[in-house]
Amino acid sequence: PRFRFLPPGVGTGSGSEAAPPARRQSAMASYTKAAQQWATFARAWYLIDGKLQPPGKLAAMSVIRLQGKHKPMYHALSDCGDHVVIINTRHIAFSGNKWEQKVYSSHSGYPGGLKQVTATQLHLKDPTAVVKLAIYRMLPKNLHRRTMMQRLHLFPEDVIPEDIRNNLVEELAQPRRIPKRLDEYTQEEIDAFPMLWTPPKNYRKM
Amino acid sequence: ERPGSGSGVRRGACQGRFPRWRPPACCAAAGAGWSLGSWGWGAAGPGLRPARSGRIEGKIIEDVKTPTPPNPSGQCPICRWNLKHKYNYEDVLLLSQFIRSDGGMLPRRITGLCLEEHKKVAVCVQMAHRAGLLPNHRPLLPEGHVSKKPKLNRYLTRWSVKSVKPIWKRGPKWCRVPFRVGHPLLMDNINYGQKPVYLNH
Repeated sequence: PRFRFLPPGVGTGSGSEAAPPARRQSAMASYTKAAQQWATFARAWYLIDGKLQPPGKLAAMSVIRLQGKHKPMYHALSDCGDHVVIINTRHIAFSGNKWEQKVYSSHSGYPGGLKQVTATQLHLKDPTAVVKLAIYRMLPKNLHRRTMMQRLHLFPEDVIPEDIRNNLVEELAQPRRIPKRLDEYTQEEIDAFPMLWTPPKNYRKM
Repeated sequence: ERPGSGSGVRRGACQGRFPRWRPPACCAAAGAGWSLGSWGWGAAGPGLRPARSGRIEGKIIEDVKTPTPPNPSGQCPICRWNLKHKYNYEDVLLLSQFIRSDGGMLPRRITGLCLEEHKKVAVCVQMAHRAGLLPNHRPLLPEGHVSKKPKLNRYLTRWSVKSVKPIWKRGPKWCRVPFRVGHPLLMDNINYGQKPVYLNH
């Protein structure tokens, strides 16, 4: 049997009946081995803007990346999670009446030590707490959770330290489509929208 | 001097016995199409004419030509324009046509909406106000008044912010007290995505 890595001309001069297989271009042809190794195993830094976004959806996106489940070579023990930076956590938006209805409870263990705080009160006290708790509760309940929380970075406004800003690789798309306010529409768009009903003749515009 | 005081006697005689918008028999005799002018308020309206002014100028506004709706046989504007299950709280251009400048809804007898559509539009307008999508339709407040309420972003809020109580005990998973989001009147809206509209979170 011929050694298959030799070029087709070498070896027996008679050659085989079948034509030599055409060389296939691999997708990784342009990367060196070292660059491919780095791209696969390096820990990336992702940025998410939380302005007018629901904290639950931000948490779902972050949890996938903190665990490393967005990578094809994921394994729970291989510590392949990435860093996630969430900015503008002060401007998150809850759907429904959750700001008033959602209650965060904690108990110190002592009698009479139950503390129950609404989402509004907690958010005013600490603007990153709502997102932090959402992500903490969505991560798998094992010892890796604390390490993954250390790789999460939350900032109430869009002010980020210099070194974190230099590490960022990609900004992820926001999970919720933000609707336009009435004053954000251009006059042409407002004029293009037809008037649906005709006011009666004696109607006085209020 | 209150404008329209010249015919105040006639107004005073009719007041209290009829709803404000329905003309009594004495005023119907004035002409086929009664107008607010017959009540003595004048074309300019109360409060718009300064007291003791020398000149009053009237302007004839031409009727704006609106395009014909795709379904002219509809009973209400929404049916005429085929928008029956197609609008939500974010369609501010549509909702702003049915509200006053201070944010309140216009009466159904003026806009011509059917009852269910009027209720749906009212619900969408409330949700748009709470989401902050209608910033210029605020009620008149004294200048320099700073509200002490915390400004939090929200959307699809069913109930008013002041009226909701915290859910202290949500219960076990099998009988959880859900957070209500959106409004059941908008359940029939056309949904182009694969996920159904969840009202209970």
